[in-house]
Amino acid sequence: MTQQAEWKPKLLGFLCRWCSYAGADLAGTSRKKYPANIRVIKVPCSGRVDSLFIIKALRLGFDGVLVSGCHPGDCHYLTGNYRARRRIAITKKFLEYLGVEPERLQASWVSASEGGKFAEVVTEVTEGVKEVGPNRLFSERKSDGTEA
Amino acid sequence: MADKKVSKKDIAGLLKEWSQQFAVFAPSKESGVAAMAKWDGQDTSFLDWYRNTVVPPKASFLPQMEEMFRFQKGKEGYNIEPPPKDENKRLIFGIRPCDARAMSILDMTFKQALEDPYYLSKRNNAVLVGLGCTNPCESCFCTSMGTSPTESADVDLMLIDIGDDFLIEEVTDRGKGLIAGTKGLKETAKDDEAKAEQSKKKAYDRVTRKLDTEGIKDKLLASFDDEEYWEKVAAKCISCGICTLLCPTCYCFDINDEMVKQEGTRFRSWDSCGFPNYTKMPMENPRQEKWRRVRQKVCHKYEFYPMTFDVIACTGCGRCIRLCPVNWDITQVIESVPNKTEAKK
Amino acid sequence: MEQRLRQEARALLEQNKVDWIIGFAPGSLKFTATPLITRDKDDTERLVISPFMFNNLADFLTGIEGRVGIVAKGCDSRSIVSLIQDNKIAREDVVILAVPCPGLIDLAKIEKLVGKDRDELDDIVREGEKVTVTVDGQKKEFSTTQTLFDHCLACELPTPQEYDILLGETRPPAPELKVSGQNIAKLKETSPAERWEFWQNEFSRCIRCYACRNACPACFCQRCFVEETEPQWVMPVPRWQDNLIFQVVRNIHVAGRCTDCGECERVCPVNIPLRSLAREMYNMVDELFQFKSGMDKEALPLMAHYEQEEAEDLFR
Repeated sequence: MTQQAEWKPKLLGFLCRWCSYAGADLAGTSRKKYPANIRVIKVPCSGRVDSLFIIKALRLGFDGVLVSGCHPGDCHYLTGNYRARRRIAITKKFLEYLGVEPERLQASWVSASEGGKFAEVVTEVTEGVKEVGPNRLFSERKSDGTEA
Repeated sequence: MADKKVSKKDIAGLLKEWSQQFAVFAPSKESGVAAMAKWDGQDTSFLDWYRNTVVPPKASFLPQMEEMFRFQKGKEGYNIEPPPKDENKRLIFGIRPCDARAMSILDMTFKQALEDPYYLSKRNNAVLVGLGCTNPCESCFCTSMGTSPTESADVDLMLIDIGDDFLIEEVTDRGKGLIAGTKGLKETAKDDEAKAEQSKKKAYDRVTRKLDTEGIKDKLLASFDDEEYWEKVAAKCISCGICTLLCPTCYCFDINDEMVKQEGTRFRSWDSCGFPNYTKMPMENPRQEKWRRVRQKVCHKYEFYPMTFDVIACTGCGRCIRLCPVNWDITQVIESVPNKTEAKK
Repeated sequence: MEQRLRQEARALLEQNKVDWIIGFAPGSLKFTATPLITRDKDDTERLVISPFMFNNLADFLTGIEGRVGIVAKGCDSRSIVSLIQDNKIAREDVVILAVPCPGLIDLAKIEKLVGKDRDELDDIVREGEKVTVTVDGQKKEFSTTQTLFDHCLACELPTPQEYDILLGETRPPAPELKVSGQNIAKLKETSPAERWEFWQNEFSRCIRCYACRNACPACFCQRCFVEETEPQWVMPVPRWQDNLIFQVVRNIHVAGRCTDCGECERVCPVNIPLRSLAREMYNMVDELFQFKSGMDKEALPLMAHYEQEEAEDLFR
């Protein structure tokens, strides 16, 4: 696998089943164009997304992660997305502090009727990830540590 | 009869000379913690600070993690690649007698009980050059465990501090052969042997921590079921793995496979009987309770290993005492084991 | 004050107000105190108030059954309150013996300043803002700014707010945030790529002893994510990638419960600067949500609470 060959970013999306996933479906049925680089995992609620999933996704080699849920106030489970909001906020900032490019974790509120917004979000996120390049965060280090 | 010595100022030269034949390892803090590391070719500042490493030299023979082999999954099954043999000639410079004794104790498991090829290929190709202690730590108790700060039985060469020089005790044939071919050495002077004996005695006397292990095997056997006692002993333990992972005689390991698509690697890595899940099985965990795990650790070292190999699996290096987050102290525990052996009669 | 502590602890056991006493006894090494966990009223004679009582004893509360009389410094009491917030322990099941803390001496800092190991020192004496170390018969003087733990220099609550028995005079906070936060500040001056490489290096020597997790009162999960095998989130193999993920996710999981007691960094046997992660999370939680862990036992835990409008700038 060479970097010279045209690299296509791989994104992982956690979409809440009630709003964002439906919104994504709507984008599809409305024939809205958006980059095909995203793989989707349906979760019951954005509040289901543990920070562990996000970091595991980066570990596995995904170049970017998108978490999308219902707008605050509209959560099917009433408060799940409020939890997600706090959790994603600290995860995003913490990863930035560690040195992870902020473009690699993005979050959005997309309702079931916002097919257009979903397409826009994926397009923007893909562009952002393209700019920061392939995820080499967890590849073996260049400098070889000495080992006894 | 030692007839060679090396000046402390010439250690760098000596290591350079040996670097031509061996990958030389010496104490270093470069990684952020004191450990044996590949000598960088010049630094001998460890002679100023070195008392003992945090990571024990067992890491050179039983590494924290080790690739056992790689494999691929094909249509007909698994193809296992034979592991590359690690037959690099290593020289571990500065190993302390407690850690060298620990290597001999580990050999009982990895040589006698079974022949572990990963361990043996490294062990058989390593020369141990010991460095006798002059400044034992307050946590050291080697003199109670059948060895001493300057014991030479478990190394190829033992260097004894005699002031400006190190006297070189040639122990094994391999050690003798190495010295015979080494240039940067001096002849010993007439009173150097006496100086060495003085240095040894001084170091011996500086070990203040003492432990009486008389009859401990039987005492532990008799107290095995004393749950109340073991609960007390285990009360402040937090079940981390520090005492076991950094113990030079502990050898438990875990084996894990990692597969990505059709390719996989089998790893061996350090494990600890202190971890709550160490004995977890689908149906049950026989050591769910902390006191059982603490009892296991103490008994393995001071009862079971002696039952099998006639030696206590502890060399008094003191790491477990110094590094324990709650200052759990094995010497206090061993001293407190009730003596029920008379009552049993 | 020690006498009073022993009397109070003994009385609590004798009057059957608690089942256990958790405090500190003298350690088996110089400059060490060790946790004492006992049901025996005579054992209370061993209790001490020591300048080396580093452990956060709240760590033992989630593993013990029954009512507990517990010695608590300021940071410890915040951990206790945090556990009460999380409903892990009931307020009526703990009797808090509050010990106002003047800040504790970091032996690692002293070792660096003096150039000797701790067991080679003759004595360490503190008088107010002065710390005198005697080594080889010679006295060397240092300030508390040079010798206290970084987390003590940032201490916002030296005297427990929540307590039953107060053993000493209350102390005001005197946070020297600038000094205590200098490791984090230094990191923030580097580029993201340099920072990531820094952490790669640090976590290369992690041996996965889990002392950081086990010494942390906020880590009380019966089943930690690192021990999960279905699915295997993190390999038990101590590669830097897995080590880093373990620590990062651990810090995120305890966000809002971490009181910056500094234990994680102190107990790490291979000197990984874990507090540079924990404290940054602590600061972030304050910055983003104005939340300080363990201050109000009636308050909801961080992740259980939310405001109508917050952090919206991070969402599309």
